[in-house]
Amino acid sequence: MNSDIIDVRRTYDYLRRCQTHLVQSSEIATACVCQNLFKLDYPFGATRSDKDYLVANTVHDIMSLCMSGPILENWHSGLENYEQIAKKIVNESSEIVNTVIKDIIEGAHQENRFVQDDFELQVNDIYNGLVVGMTRRLMKNHERPSRVLTEVTITNIKDHHEGRIDALLEYSSGYGLLDWKSYELSNTVSGREKWQLIANTLLANFRYRRSEDDWSGHNFSCIVHNSGVYFPKTETIVKEVERIKTNRQFAHMVLCGERVRVQRPKFCPVCDKGLEGSKECLFYQRDARLAYEGKLPAQYEKMTKQFFAKRYAILKERAETHLHKHVVYTQISKHGEEEALRRLEKIGILSRGYSYDFNIDEKVILSRTDDNIPLEPRRIVRIIGMEPSRSLLSCINEQASVMEVRNSKITLSFRSKIAVQRAKRQLFHFPLILLRDELNLTRSMLRPIHQFHKLAAEVLIPPELLV
Amino acid sequence: MTIKLNPDQSRILNWRVKSGGVAGVIGPAGCGKTTTGSFLAVKMICEGYAKNVLLVAFTNSAANEFARELSMVLGPEGSKFLCVRSGYAPGADPRLPIPFSNNIEFVRAKKIVICTTQSLKRLSTSIKFENMIIDEAGIERLEHLLSPFALGINQLGIHLMKENISYETNNIIELASKCGIIATVVGDPKQSRPIGLADYDLSAMEWVLKCAKYDTLFTTHRLPDRLAMLVDEFADYGGLNSAPEIASRRFGAEYAIDKNYKEILNPEEVITWVNLNGNEEMGGPSSWYNEVEAKACVRICCEIKRVAPSKSISIVTRYTEQRRTISKYLQHLDIETRVLTTTGALGTQADIVIFSLVRNNPERLVGALGSLQDLNVAISRSKEKLIIVGSFEMMLNGLSYSHNSNSRHKQNFPQKLARLVNEKYGMVVTAPSILCN
Repeated sequence: MNSDIIDVRRTYDYLRRCQTHLVQSSEIATACVCQNLFKLDYPFGATRSDKDYLVANTVHDIMSLCMSGPILENWHSGLENYEQIAKKIVNESSEIVNTVIKDIIEGAHQENRFVQDDFELQVNDIYNGLVVGMTRRLMKNHERPSRVLTEVTITNIKDHHEGRIDALLEYSSGYGLLDWKSYELSNTVSGREKWQLIANTLLANFRYRRSEDDWSGHNFSCIVHNSGVYFPKTETIVKEVERIKTNRQFAHMVLCGERVRVQRPKFCPVCDKGLEGSKECLFYQRDARLAYEGKLPAQYEKMTKQFFAKRYAILKERAETHLHKHVVYTQISKHGEEEALRRLEKIGILSRGYSYDFNIDEKVILSRTDDNIPLEPRRIVRIIGMEPSRSLLSCINEQASVMEVRNSKITLSFRSKIAVQRAKRQLFHFPLILLRDELNLTRSMLRPIHQFHKLAAEVLIPPELLV
Repeated sequence: MTIKLNPDQSRILNWRVKSGGVAGVIGPAGCGKTTTGSFLAVKMICEGYAKNVLLVAFTNSAANEFARELSMVLGPEGSKFLCVRSGYAPGADPRLPIPFSNNIEFVRAKKIVICTTQSLKRLSTSIKFENMIIDEAGIERLEHLLSPFALGINQLGIHLMKENISYETNNIIELASKCGIIATVVGDPKQSRPIGLADYDLSAMEWVLKCAKYDTLFTTHRLPDRLAMLVDEFADYGGLNSAPEIASRRFGAEYAIDKNYKEILNPEEVITWVNLNGNEEMGGPSSWYNEVEAKACVRICCEIKRVAPSKSISIVTRYTEQRRTISKYLQHLDIETRVLTTTGALGTQADIVIFSLVRNNPERLVGALGSLQDLNVAISRSKEKLIIVGSFEMMLNGLSYSHNSNSRHKQNFPQKLARLVNEKYGMVVTAPSILCN
């Protein structure tokens, strides 16, 4: 019987020596805008903004609860009097909206974070705008879905792709995909939102048809924004898929530390418009040029090598956060799902047979029939609801950390009370699997390296070269 | 202030308040690293050496420990007035008088800010610190040090200093020092090492020791004489000694000890190795457990609880699966005892420590248990008595490798420990039959 365990351990040993990177849909979208911009995030770590997205996050939370509640309940296709329905939805959502706003403000106050005076007003405004957009454009042309899932993380190991989809509308014939934006789409110039939407659509294809290139289940994808809904044309989607795949491969190769030639677009909406981040981008471009011309001072070059060694060590850690998922995928490919799950359960990577007991705020208590729970406090887990005919890593899931394990009960701490509410609506009624997971904290580790890289340049590169 | 500093601590305090740049302080087990750091922060503020000080720890529990020490040094009112705990709200201990906040203005108004490395991103980059103390740097990587350092860069001064710096800076630590960052990096590379760091790479602490000045604390207030001597010789500290007031501390039972445990709990012996041959089993992707040892540890723990109910006990092991196995048995018996991995045990102490070795195989592969850091942590948590449970033969003849990239010769640390316990500082006893099934 030990041979099963040895087999899984060998898979771990093998994969630890491989590249287990996954590229997020948002990162692919950034690379589509400009490959230099992707490199600015990884490996350089020059985060472009310090903004607190409290309003946007709150709206996302509200939408994630309201979609399967008042919005779905009031879905009427082909209606003309959309304003009335929108009003009804907004009225019926008021309890959810107020609860979410209260929770967010409570959390922000707990951390002494700054909350704008008109925070509640802003959130309500954006939510109302999204609801109006949905009723006017989406409900008019599309049937009521049979089920709505929100905040779905899908992992496609084969194509090194992962993403979190805002909402999936399920129909007997296929699916529709929604993405919320809390700002006006007409004010944006980069096209980033469109690429993120298409990248997520590839993931949805994978979830419903087990292949990202199988479009037979795809009904529509759209961005719901403050003043309407944007539906990319089918030709646009088809045309952009290749671009998504090329940039996904580019991003994956960069994360793996391979040398890839960067293709700068004819127009970069960041550098060519001098937006936030353009200075950083030009800094690294200048660095590369000076290195190519052999003009970098030896001390600086030596230190730059130290910085890059550290950066790639951090990226290796980022890859390791996906290790468990790769092992699951490898085992399933090798032995089939049931046998793989049995082996993985035996070694304690995942465990099955949990059912939801109750929750207190963001803490959820699950129980199982025996007391052999192979988890311990502080471990991060992915709670997966086993949906029929879906591959394990594309099933509905949420992330949580283990608080306590006592006999046959396990206490999990979710990210927020809203995440628990969402899980109660769409996750807990499925057979539950707890899969070991890891947190990805690499971005915050890269940032100070970027700061010191710039500092070293400021100090060690002669001023005449900096011009 | 009611806490008295020993001569080592006072020397380091006087050195660091007057010197700038980045410097290291090595602190073996129980030498008061956190106390020294807290005093240093208070002295800097109270005597006007710095306008504000950032105290950084790797874990929330260590950050709370800093906050606790500061509350003791300054008193509840003083610490409430001068200090703020920042970062991740659920990680902060709410029982401490120091307020929690991430609000930039509130944080800016305080003199001493306590935060974890990972949570520093929650502090605005516009806040600058004149001085910083970074604890647990042994477990940190160089990149971890850069997060606090980034908050200490003196941008205005850089231009003035530029001429002095040019072309003489070889590494990041030197660059930081020359750019006006004043940081005291505290840790012990012989107790901890970052998880997953390549053998050839250096931890943050090792970088500081390589590139900057450092001093060592040599007086332990935790380990009794024989244990201090064992740890000193095992880890090669070069002079670790017990503080006089605790040197002769021994385990004392309040009730008569069962005859099966008489040898194991002998009050005369500070270090006892219970030679036990249980079989190791694989658990998890890279962990191990040993049922026989787990049961033996729990039984010994029960006996200690019976004969000395007031004593605190910790069970320490290298492997998470063994920790889980032991915790499960303790839970069934409804016994409250801390079970820790060597990583989790860092910074903790107990009256009696039971160390479960786990590894025992015909190939004599000791694996990760053989690292200097893990063994050193496991043997240096105890205030009165250390009980090692596991195969003596396996450790004495096991094949090991060293994680310490600084050591010129790869040493067999399990063998060294077995020899030192058997020949100089402790006693190896055969496990009584009651522990063998």
